[in-house]
Amino acid sequence: MLENGKIGVRQLTILVILISIGDAILVLPSIPAIEAKQDAWISVVIGLAIGLPIVYLLTIVGKLYPGLTVVEYNEKILGTWLGKAISLFFLSYLFFSAAAHLRESSDFMITNIMPETPIMAINILFLGIIVMGARLGLETLTRTAEILFPWFILLLLMFILFLIPQADIKNMLPVLGEGIKPVIRGSIASAAFPFAELVVFLMVFPYVNQTNRIRRSFLLGALLGGIVLIAIVALSILVLGADLVARNIYPSFFMAKKISIGNFLERVEAILAIIWFISIYFKITLYYYAFNLGLAQTLKLREYRFLTLPSGMILLLLSLMVAPNITYYNEVISKYWPNLDFTYSILLPLLLLGVYALRKKFKRNM
Amino acid sequence: MWAIAGIIAVIIAIIMFEAPSLRRKQLRKELWVFSILLLIGFGLGVAISLHMKLPPALDWIIVIYKPLTDALIGLLK
Repeated sequence: MLENGKIGVRQLTILVILISIGDAILVLPSIPAIEAKQDAWISVVIGLAIGLPIVYLLTIVGKLYPGLTVVEYNEKILGTWLGKAISLFFLSYLFFSAAAHLRESSDFMITNIMPETPIMAINILFLGIIVMGARLGLETLTRTAEILFPWFILLLLMFILFLIPQADIKNMLPVLGEGIKPVIRGSIASAAFPFAELVVFLMVFPYVNQTNRIRRSFLLGALLGGIVLIAIVALSILVLGADLVARNIYPSFFMAKKISIGNFLERVEAILAIIWFISIYFKITLYYYAFNLGLAQTLKLREYRFLTLPSGMILLLLSLMVAPNITYYNEVISKYWPNLDFTYSILLPLLLLGVYALRKKFKRNM
Repeated sequence: MWAIAGIIAVIIAIIMFEAPSLRRKQLRKELWVFSILLLIGFGLGVAISLHMKLPPALDWIIVIYKPLTDALIGLLK
């Protein structure tokens, strides 16, 4: 066994909540707001409605072979060579996703918090703890998530409570003023970023110790994460108005600057940065960990930890190469990336289920 | 030039950190994968430090997904 750790179902729920909130807490409000204006929160509600069936689909696939990761049963279902090829595509998706998220985090740092620090320095520091997390393995990572989770929730509640006085219901009107189509256009990204990206958990399911309760805790985690995102998007529209939300790359950070309680509690936007650091750290690390574990399983290696340093180096360089500038990055991420997510979270599970069903039928006839 | 020296130093450090235990356990396939990954890292590092004009890595996503995205957005317009 490459990974000996085991995680509990409650830990799984915490990890799912953190990863579905992920980077979405910072960047999600603006993407549906560009399309749906003041109805962006409805987009996210629809996104949750699309996302939960996707998440359910993932649990069905995860149940086919409870003791194996997706990379392993790819080969069982599709045959050795086709399975390996599909696994490598899946792993490259995980790796690209990790690189893109790393780029996103350092872009945020250099534009908002440390404008004079070179991007490389921030990337190297962040990559250091990512590699460390991946080397320590799933169990350690999940326990860290469990320790940080109460702080995460506390800061999130503080953030929401402090902003309620600034909310103005007029910003949300008129509801559905331009019909339902822009809202649905906005919901594509809202379904993809939090929920379709949970496909990485197909690499985690075999290490959960109560297999029969995975579905419940997985769905619960996605639902709670989705509710938090709906609250954040709705709040950002209530506080800033649709126009400002759509114009900002990081609307929730901009919104956090508006917190002002009795001329005493001012400029506490770092609260949001901390919330986001916690969630994006677990997202990148889980992706990166799944990539290393999956590569070792695809190539039938006996360890995976020695892969983390060389692939960390590639990750660092790739995160610089992902995009020439932030405009290009946002364009690609908001327009094309959702379809990439759907390819692996809908098409791949359907393919696996279809071939699995065909194989079963064929065997019975013989 | 200094950047390339730095990359080589990092690679040597990684090799010194990981390779001895792999060699001791006689994991030959693992050593191959390890070297190939380091080679890819070295290539990318040199290309970036020499400011070569590389296409952005996200370009292939646009190439593959543009028809689908355009169709989907056209449908919802």
